[in-house]
Amino acid sequence: MTASLIGFGAVLALILLRVPIAFAMGFVGMVGFMTETSFRASISMVARLIIDTSQDYGLSVVPLFILMGLFVNKGGISRELYAASNAFLGHLRGGLAMATIVACGGFAAISGSSLATAATMAKVAMPEMRRFGYSDSLSTASIAAGGTLGILIPPSVILVIYGLLTETSIGKLFVAGIVPGMLGILLYLCAVRWTVWRNPAAGPAGERVPLRGRLAALREVWAVMLLFFLVIGGLYGLFDVPPLNINFSPTEAAGMGAMGAFLIALARRRLTLKDTLEVLLETSITAASLFAVLIGAWIFSNFVNIAGLPTALSDLITTYELRPWQVMAVILAIYIALGCVFESLSMLLLTVPIFFPLVTGLGYDPIWFGIVVVVVTEISLITPPVGLNVFVLKGVVGDVTTGTIFRGVTPFWMVDIIRLALLLAVPALALYLPGQM
Amino acid sequence: MMKRVLSLSVWLPGLLASAALFVLMVMTFADVLLRSIFNAPIEVAADLTRLLMAVMVFSVMPVLSGRNAHVSVDLLDGPFHRLRLSRWRDAAVCLFCGIILFWPASRVYDLAERSRSYGDVMEYLRLPLHYVGWFIALLTLVTAVVLVVRGVLLLVAPRLAGSAS
Amino acid sequence: ADTTLRISTWLPPTHGINTEIFAGLIGMMEEATDGQVSGELVFGLAPPPAQMDLIQDGAADMAIIFHGYQPGRFIGTKLIELPGYEGNAEAASVAYWRVHTQHLGKLGEHRGVKLVALNTHGPGQIHTSKDVATLADLNGLKTRIGGGVAGDVGAALGLVGINVPAPKVYETLESGAADAVAMNVGERVGFKLNEVAKNLYDMPGGLYRGSFAIIMSQETFDSLPADVQAALDEKVFGEPASRMAGAAWDKSDMIAYEATRGTEGAKIVEASAEDQAAFAAIAAEVTAKVLAELDAAGVDAQAAYDMVKAEMAAN
Ligand code: NA
Ligand code: NA
Repeated sequence: MTASLIGFGAVLALILLRVPIAFAMGFVGMVGFMTETSFRASISMVARLIIDTSQDYGLSVVPLFILMGLFVNKGGISRELYAASNAFLGHLRGGLAMATIVACGGFAAISGSSLATAATMAKVAMPEMRRFGYSDSLSTASIAAGGTLGILIPPSVILVIYGLLTETSIGKLFVAGIVPGMLGILLYLCAVRWTVWRNPAAGPAGERVPLRGRLAALREVWAVMLLFFLVIGGLYGLFDVPPLNINFSPTEAAGMGAMGAFLIALARRRLTLKDTLEVLLETSITAASLFAVLIGAWIFSNFVNIAGLPTALSDLITTYELRPWQVMAVILAIYIALGCVFESLSMLLLTVPIFFPLVTGLGYDPIWFGIVVVVVTEISLITPPVGLNVFVLKGVVGDVTTGTIFRGVTPFWMVDIIRLALLLAVPALALYLPGQM
Repeated sequence: MMKRVLSLSVWLPGLLASAALFVLMVMTFADVLLRSIFNAPIEVAADLTRLLMAVMVFSVMPVLSGRNAHVSVDLLDGPFHRLRLSRWRDAAVCLFCGIILFWPASRVYDLAERSRSYGDVMEYLRLPLHYVGWFIALLTLVTAVVLVVRGVLLLVAPRLAGSAS
Repeated sequence: ADTTLRISTWLPPTHGINTEIFAGLIGMMEEATDGQVSGELVFGLAPPPAQMDLIQDGAADMAIIFHGYQPGRFIGTKLIELPGYEGNAEAASVAYWRVHTQHLGKLGEHRGVKLVALNTHGPGQIHTSKDVATLADLNGLKTRIGGGVAGDVGAALGLVGINVPAPKVYETLESGAADAVAMNVGERVGFKLNEVAKNLYDMPGGLYRGSFAIIMSQETFDSLPADVQAALDEKVFGEPASRMAGAAWDKSDMIAYEATRGTEGAKIVEASAEDQAAFAAIAAEVTAKVLAELDAAGVDAQAAYDMVKAEMAAN
């Protein structure tokens, strides 16, 4: 236990010194493993993980889902999504912010990452909201919060990694994210309403779009719907009917989605060779940085594993005779606390190998826990002082302070906590749909 | 000349990674269709997936490291900047990361040699596994060198380090 | 215990390899050494093909390897994977150890580690999501099947190979990307095949067998006191441990057969006499091919094959 805690402290210190997370976890894990075994054993373990992780069949979904999002985006989809939701919601008070939330949800259906969702929507929605005099605090907050939906609404890189770490069905995890994702949209809309009810000047109404315009705008988003249908429908086996008989596993769904997005962007003539190369290179770099973090996290978790932390934790539960719900409460408290400083992926990688055996051992459903973990991860993205989505907004928009964004985010953060409570009280929110597969 | 080599050294691995990723996408798509419609899956698909991923990930690893694009936390950037310590910190971090990579890189090579002595091959592709090992070892080494060079440049010629990234 | 061996396992905690085989092995070691040597499991240190490296470099003291995961490295071990042997996993595992001592050991395929036990899982069968009645019905099924002997048999049966790693079996079957999977019957429980591959096409003696070895770090073994080494070598390692592991596989098969019979909609289709005869011809072909490979590697393949048959018949 002590060795593991020292290890955690060392990782934290290195991360704060701006050592890349992959190297911080890898180095501390390597040294820690060394103290438990030997120099040769530890370096070999590290070398094997470098070799094997880069060739893990299941991880092929990571680059392919990233690729899908980037291709679609090149096709101009984010602008169209925003235009469509604006056509329906823009005329309400706070309507542009509400449209932002809905468009974020739509973009989340083809993007596996929250940061990408926030960054993309910021470029599209921010100028519009400014034009109609929305307060900076509401506009940035709605994008930062809406962006978090990227990892809950499938596809989701975080759910993929959770599935890989815990050998849980990625297909079921994806489907399980749909209802909580919708609930998230709904609650965020409420947060917008609450904000403009408190301060009507924060979000004046926009122009009303006539029915014909609404339908026209809707027609433009067919590509997103098609791709989402392709990926999720494929997972559900919808195309496994004569004469189509096409079926693919969740691992392959990523490749199908990426290829579909590529073809759509090509068909719209929005993709030059240069664009394609750029997208491919950017995807490779992002994916490789994720692989590096994964390797580092695995090395670190081997250290805490061999140092006996999992056993120590379950002994702790036995000694204090904790009930399952008490353990879950403690775990969630830890997540919320970690969420203040940690970024989504590292938080997941640090905690899941330790908590998962504990939680499933207490009888909780692994799919449900996966969704809970993603929801707390979403919360971490907008929790001060380190809220990555907030930083993304700050990066894209520039002339707002993070303090302004964090203030605007408060109601969104509150409804996130409500959603978490609902998920704890009604596990069926996550488990009903996958149960139908 | 130097500039040409430099730009090639960034472009070539990037192109290799991009090609691997593109082939991976097209192959997955083709495999699904061939299997579903013609009952004729690409038998080497899984082996190829593994190979292509290794090529993609490790080709860009030096690029990623040279560009300083690793996932990291910038929570204390403000204080470091105010104290004018950013450059020293970045140099130290680069040197640290580069140096600790040398041992795994050389061990990956040792393991590849061991694998060669046992005659390991990929299941369907029959490709000797130590080729993959050599590739990973080499690129890990290149990544380490890139990091060290970047660290040294940050110390002695910060302008060059900036332009290299 | 004076020494607690670190046992690396890549299988989920509930798998029989952990609950039966490793637990059994720890019990045997404790008894043979009066509690001086024990063991504890460490989960998920590295993927299956990395296990032998982990042991060689001392990251763990003991591990189990599946020979099929390292194509090219093991040829002698294919002998026990052949179809056509009659008998359960226990008989096969004992015969395996004996034929290894006499014939296969000289290939030195486990060089660098100490061999603790050899064993095979129960007869490998085909589990399908579609209804099958005869051997011919297997023709054209998209099947997740391993390489080596299993792959040869699958090709002869006309199976279309789907190559995905074991953890992806459930999702691949569930999504319809595969129609069938080749596995020992015991795995029906862990892989939840009663949900996604309800039909079990049951060929007596199986279509192939899977080959495993339990290995130990030579350094760790050498560091033990001489009397402890002797006790382990005499009472645990080798035939006793192999027999125990084989029996554990048989037990898992029995449990899975029970579970399948007790699952509504799940079906066990016994191969008919004609199908058995048809398969015997395929088995003979595959056997001839593998024996030729063994001959080329430097084993008296026919003698080794006859020995396994005789040992299993006698058991
Ligand atoms: Na998403
Ligand atoms: Na945070």
